[in-house]
Amino acid sequence: MIAKHDVLVVGAGCAGMRAAIEAFDAGADVAMISKLHPTRSHSGAAEGGINAALGNAAEDNAEIHAYDTVKGSDYLGDQDAIEVFAREAPGDIFQLENWGAVFSRREDGKLAQRPFGAAGSPRTVYAADITGHVLIQVLWEQVCKRDIPVYEEFFAWQLVENDGRCQGVICWDLLHGGLKTVGGKTVVLATGGAGRQYRVTTNAYACTGDGMAMALHAGLPLKDMEFMQFHPTTLYPTGILLTEGCRGEGAYLINKDGERFMKRYAPNALELASRDVVSRSEQTEIDEGRGIEGSVLLDMRHLGAERIIERLPGSRELSMVYAGIDPIYEPVPVRPGAHYHMGGIETDNGGATEMTGLYAAGECACVSIHGANRLGGNSLMETITFGRRAGRSAAEWALTHTTVEVPESAERDAEARLRELLDRDEGERPWKVREELGNSMLENFAVFRTEEGMSRQIEILEGLRERYPNVVVEDKGEVFNSDLTQAIELGNMLDTALCMVTAGLVRKESRGAHARPHDYPTRDDDNFLHHSITRWKDGGVELSKSEVRFTHWEPQERKY
Amino acid sequence: MQVGLKIWRYDSATGDRALREYEIEAPEEATLLDCLDIVKERHDGSLAYRKSCRMMICGSCGMRMDGAAVLACKTRMYDIAEEGRVPVISAMGNLPIVKDLVVDMDPFWAKFKSTQPWLQPGYERPDDGREYRISQERMNVIHKEALCINCGCCVSECNAMESDPEFLGPQALAKGMRFVGDPRDGATVERLERYNQEHGIWDCTRCYFCNERCPKGVDPRDAIAKLGAESIRLGIDRDMGAKHAKWFVRSAETTGWLREEELIPKTQGYVAAIKQLKFGASLARHGKVRPIPFPHTANDVDEARNLRKLVREQDRDGALGIVQGERALGRLEHGHKDESLEEIYERPGAAPRPWLPEVEEEASA
Repeated sequence: MIAKHDVLVVGAGCAGMRAAIEAFDAGADVAMISKLHPTRSHSGAAEGGINAALGNAAEDNAEIHAYDTVKGSDYLGDQDAIEVFAREAPGDIFQLENWGAVFSRREDGKLAQRPFGAAGSPRTVYAADITGHVLIQVLWEQVCKRDIPVYEEFFAWQLVENDGRCQGVICWDLLHGGLKTVGGKTVVLATGGAGRQYRVTTNAYACTGDGMAMALHAGLPLKDMEFMQFHPTTLYPTGILLTEGCRGEGAYLINKDGERFMKRYAPNALELASRDVVSRSEQTEIDEGRGIEGSVLLDMRHLGAERIIERLPGSRELSMVYAGIDPIYEPVPVRPGAHYHMGGIETDNGGATEMTGLYAAGECACVSIHGANRLGGNSLMETITFGRRAGRSAAEWALTHTTVEVPESAERDAEARLRELLDRDEGERPWKVREELGNSMLENFAVFRTEEGMSRQIEILEGLRERYPNVVVEDKGEVFNSDLTQAIELGNMLDTALCMVTAGLVRKESRGAHARPHDYPTRDDDNFLHHSITRWKDGGVELSKSEVRFTHWEPQERKY
Repeated sequence: MQVGLKIWRYDSATGDRALREYEIEAPEEATLLDCLDIVKERHDGSLAYRKSCRMMICGSCGMRMDGAAVLACKTRMYDIAEEGRVPVISAMGNLPIVKDLVVDMDPFWAKFKSTQPWLQPGYERPDDGREYRISQERMNVIHKEALCINCGCCVSECNAMESDPEFLGPQALAKGMRFVGDPRDGATVERLERYNQEHGIWDCTRCYFCNERCPKGVDPRDAIAKLGAESIRLGIDRDMGAKHAKWFVRSAETTGWLREEELIPKTQGYVAAIKQLKFGASLARHGKVRPIPFPHTANDVDEARNLRKLVREQDRDGALGIVQGERALGRLEHGHKDESLEEIYERPGAAPRPWLPEVEEEASA
C-alpha cells in the first residue's frame, strides 16, 4: 500500500471531482485516482447542457422537472430519488455558477436556459454547446484550489474487500509501471460508462465500464443494465456526438425524401420527443429505406449562420472536421449511436452500495434517476447532485471510522493475475475481440432488439469471453504500457456486456430504450415494472429483480 | 487508403531514440489518431500515445506532425495520403518525453497551478442565493480563453519557453486572462502583479506560434496582450515591457510617430540610457535624433490623436480595446456562398466529402 486516505475517489470526471470536493469540504483527507488527467475525462465532451428548474426562461419548478423525468424513465425511475434530484438541482447549479462556471446568459444577466427533449419547460442551462467542458474546467479549478491529490494515470483494476468492507483499490501505474495499492476508509466509484462496447458510440476510448466491472467482480449488483441509451444524432460515420441542443435550437430531422418524419411519430414534441422515441423513429426510417447510407439528416440551415455560430459552434466544428459538412449550408448525416448507460452499480440516494465503505456516483451508478430512458441534460446534473451526495456520505462514514488494512494476499493475487497476462507470448491480439464485440453489440443489442438477436449475442459474448483469456499483450515494458490497460479494459467490457444482454433477454416487453417491436411491442407493467439486478456468480451472470420506488406518479401511457 | 507514417520512438528506460516508418491501410475518413491506433493494434503494440475523446475536447492527443503541434484526432490524413507524403510524428516540444509520443505534463500543470487558476470572488455572493447577474456581452470577454482544453500544443511551440524554461507560457497566461477578464473575480490586481514579474507576460516574444497552433482558437498571444493592456490600465507598469508599450502610445498620440531617441530612457531609465550613449550617437549619425525639446510632429498627427480619443470615449482602455466580441470558432471558414458544393470539396485542403445527400430545398419549409 503506497498511501491511505479517508476517502478515495476513483474517476475524476464531473461526478468524481464533485464527490472529492464535497468530501474535502466535509473535512476528510481525500484523494482521487484516475486513468486520465481529470480534465481529459469524458464528462468534458457533454455538449448540450444541464437541467435544473430555475425558471429563468419560463415558469418551471422541481415538481415538473421530477414529473418529466419520471415519464421519461418510462416509470422505471425510482421516484424518491428523482424528487431529491429535481429539488436539489437548482442549488447545485447556482453553486457551480458562483464557483465561476462560464454559462451562457440571458439579456437580463441571468443564466440562459434552452428547450431539450421531453422537458415541459426550457430547463437546460448551457454554455453554448460545450457545457461539459465548462463544468470539467470549473470543477478542476476547485480541485486545484483545495489542492486535492490526484493519482493521475493510475488504472484502477480491483477493489480491496477486507473485513466485510471496501478498503482500497489496486491500480496499475500507467506512467511508471507496477501495481500500486491505495487504501481508503471509503471508496467512491465514479468511473463513467461503457459505450465502447459498441462500434458506433459517442463515448471516448476511456469509457470501458471499469468501475461497473470492478463492482461486479466484487460481488455487487448491477441494476437495469439492459437500458443503453442510443443518442439520436451522432455523426456519420464516426459516431461523434452532435448535441440535442441542435434540435433544442430548432433543427429538423429529415429523411431522404426531405420529409420531417418526426411528425408521424411524435406529432406534438416532434424532434424534441425523448431520445428513445427519436432514435426509434430514425431507425425505422432507415430500416424502411428512407435513410441515406444508414443515416438520416439533421437540418440546421434555417437557423441561420449567426445563431449556429453563437449557440452551436462546437457542433459546427465537429461536422466540418469529421464529416466535411458545414451545417450552415448543408444538412448533416446522423444516426443513432450508443451514448449512455441508464443502468449501473446499484446505490441508495446517498450513493452507498451494498458493500460497506463503497459508494458510486455518475454514469457508473444507478440510483435510479433515469429508469429505462434518460432525458438529455439530466446526466450532467446527476453527476453534480449525486456526486455531491456520495462525497458527503463517504466522508461522514470515513470520519467516524479509523482503520485501513489491505491484506497482502490481495496484492499478491493481483500481481499473479497481472503477470499471467503480461507473460503470455502467444495468442490473439485484443483488437480482434474488441472489434467483434463492437460490431455484434451494434447488430444484436442496439435500438431494436429481438429474442433471436439477443440469444445469438449471448452466444457470441460467451465465445469472445472464451477467447479473452488468450489475448496477448505485445508491450512488455513498464512505462506507459497502454497495451496492457487496453487489454484489461476489454475484459471489463465483455463482462458488463454479458450482464446487459442477459437482463435484456428476459425483459419481455418494450420499455424506454429497450424496444422489442417484433415480439413484445408494448410495455407490460403487470410483469416487468421492476428493476433488473445482475450479479456475477461462478463466472456467469445471476439475475434477480427489485422493486421500483413510487411516490406520486402512477404509470401511464407515454406519448409525446 | 494507404498511409505512411514516420514515428519518433523513444524509450526512457534505455534512452534509445529511433525514427520508424510504418505503412498502413486506413479508411478515407481516418484521422492521425485512427492511423496510430491501426499501427498499435496491427503492427506494434508497444507504441505509446495518449488518447481519449477523439473529438477535440479532452486535449489528450497533442503531438507534433512534421514539426508542428497538432491534435491527432483533429488531423485528417486524406490529403496527406493522396499527396503521397509521409509525415514525421513526434512528441510535443518543451516538455520531457516519457515514451514515444507521451510527454511528462507535470511542468505544464505546475505552471497552470502557479497562476491560482480558480475564481476568487470579488464581492459577496448574490444575496438571493442565486447566480451573479452578468451580461453575455461582458462574459464574451473571456469567451476564447474559456475554450482552452489544456492540450499543451501552444506550450509545445512556445519560442519564449524554449529560451526560458521558467516562462509561464501561453496556456497558463491564457488561463490567467480567463480570470482577469471575469467580472466575478476580485483578485485582478494580485493576478496582474504576478504576471508582471520575471518570466511573465513581458517575456513573451510575440512570435504568434501559440495562436497559430492552438487547435481550439483560444489565441493565447491575444490573451497575453489583454493582460498587458489591463496591467497598464491599472497602473502596473514597472516592467520595461510595459514602459516600452506605453511609450509607443504616448509617442503616437503626441507627435504621431515613434520618437526612438526617447524610447530607451523611457523604457530602461536615464542611467541605462547614458550607458547607451554610443548607440545614441549611432542613431544621430543616421539622422534619427531630433532635439528632444523640439520634436518633429507628423503632418497627420490628428488622426493618431483622434484614434486615441475614440478608444477613451468608448471606454475601451485595457483588455476591452483588444476584445472585439469575437467568437473563436465562428472564424472557421469552410462554407460556400458563391461556389457550388462541388467546387468546395475540390478545393485544395478541403476535407474529403463522405457523400452528399439529395435534399429538396423546400424540405425544411
